[in-house]
Amino acid sequence: MRGLVIVLAMPALVLPPALLGVILVRGWPGMGQIDALLGQLSGSLLLAGIGCSLATPIALGLAVWLRLQERQAMPWLRLLQLLQGVPPLVFGLCGMMLLVQGLHWGMSLMAGGIVLAVVVLPQMSMNYLAALERVPREWTEAARSLGLDDPAVVLRVWLPGAWQGLLTGLLLGLARSLAETAPVLFTAAVFSGVVWPTSLWSPVTTLQTHIFYLAQEGIDERAMDSAWTAAAVLVTLVLIFSLSALWIRLRSLR
Amino acid sequence: MKALPLSGNVSSHRLEVRNLSLVVAGTQILDRVALTLPATGISVLIGPSGAGKSSLLRCLNRLWDHWEGEVLVDDQPVSQWPGGGDALRRHLGLIGQKPVVFPGSIRANVLFGLGRRQRRTTPLDRIEEVLGQAGLWREVGERLDRPAASLSLGQQQRLCIARALMLDPAILMVDEPTSSLDPSACRVIERTLLELAGRMPLLWVTHDLAQARRVAEQVVFLCQGRVVEEAPAEQFFSHPKKVESREFLRWHVCDCEL
Repeated sequence: MRGLVIVLAMPALVLPPALLGVILVRGWPGMGQIDALLGQLSGSLLLAGIGCSLATPIALGLAVWLRLQERQAMPWLRLLQLLQGVPPLVFGLCGMMLLVQGLHWGMSLMAGGIVLAVVVLPQMSMNYLAALERVPREWTEAARSLGLDDPAVVLRVWLPGAWQGLLTGLLLGLARSLAETAPVLFTAAVFSGVVWPTSLWSPVTTLQTHIFYLAQEGIDERAMDSAWTAAAVLVTLVLIFSLSALWIRLRSLR
Repeated sequence: MKALPLSGNVSSHRLEVRNLSLVVAGTQILDRVALTLPATGISVLIGPSGAGKSSLLRCLNRLWDHWEGEVLVDDQPVSQWPGGGDALRRHLGLIGQKPVVFPGSIRANVLFGLGRRQRRTTPLDRIEEVLGQAGLWREVGERLDRPAASLSLGQQQRLCIARALMLDPAILMVDEPTSSLDPSACRVIERTLLELAGRMPLLWVTHDLAQARRVAEQVVFLCQGRVVEEAPAEQFFSHPKKVESREFLRWHVCDCEL
């Protein structure tokens, strides 16, 4: 029985690290020309930064509100779980219709950032809520017994007690933003012509969409090499954020 | 050993509970509880586990707000307390079973219940006063900026007492304050609370009959959410009136549970 479980678990254990290895090995030779990807790299980081900056206060407010509501928060939690399951492509399309076309913003950092914020909002809210829920209940009761009101409990007990979990949630949100392609493709990214956006209303180039465009040129070997390099850079960024989040999480459990 | 009268201000406050009932998820936790706390001294709330003792304390200070009945503090209904539940909880101190100290220094913990301005302006004398009342000043007076978590469990519990006293509560409620402590720490806490009982009324929850005999002046015996008997300690322990009380004193179980 144990052997069967191991055999069934093998693909899940082996395939992701193997794929990661392939991406890094194939992309490594091109790292010497990483300066050619600086525009895409900065575009991806800017979009992720804007998305998470917009999402964080809302997600944190939502998580605090849900934590204060306790049991009555259940329907809202279900809604967040439902939103987490909505394909990001749908949010991208909505963003394109409303912001890019409806408000005539065009392909822009702001439109991409807002759509990314909507995409990561459910995940960040759930992560922040989980972080707040890990603050010992005894702390909350002790603080309330001392007459602290809700804002004081949040500011003086929950946020200081949950900061590591909140930071983990933020890093995971950044990693998720970097990994999203479809919302960015419809709202913010162009293939070329932009190295550094001049304002929030400028389009950007990003690593995700760069890989997408180059992969469409599958026959051209140089284009594919460049795509592998971009993929290696992107994966490295996601790994940095995810592993930092894991490290903080493990440290907080000690 | 009973409440030790001390020199200093002695507060005289009254707590009265009338027909307090609490239902949680369809289960009757408290059933028409009625009791009166004397103006000073220690009233001990005893009863088996699950009798509703801790729940009652949380209703009295409105940590739980969904009960029926009437609770009066100094003839003022707690449901209409000026400033709401938060203000009421500053008036009715509550010490929990396990000591809960917040991350930060001993000083920060003592001042935790105060507002931002008061935390900055409270003089050292006041900190010394409350830590002294909690029997902790001699041990920590020289190291107020050390982490509170570095204290022993018994010291942490006395720190919690000092933190509650900093708010100058009218009545102190303690919920099995020694249940997580070793016998020597337990003795120190008991002595500290007995000294405090000379200053203010104390409502002390315990299921430890030996402790109840040592500290109680008034006993309220609670079983399955009902007050079975309320009597002066001497009378309750020597000549309990109710069969359930006699059974509990003999077997440590309540007849209502059988």
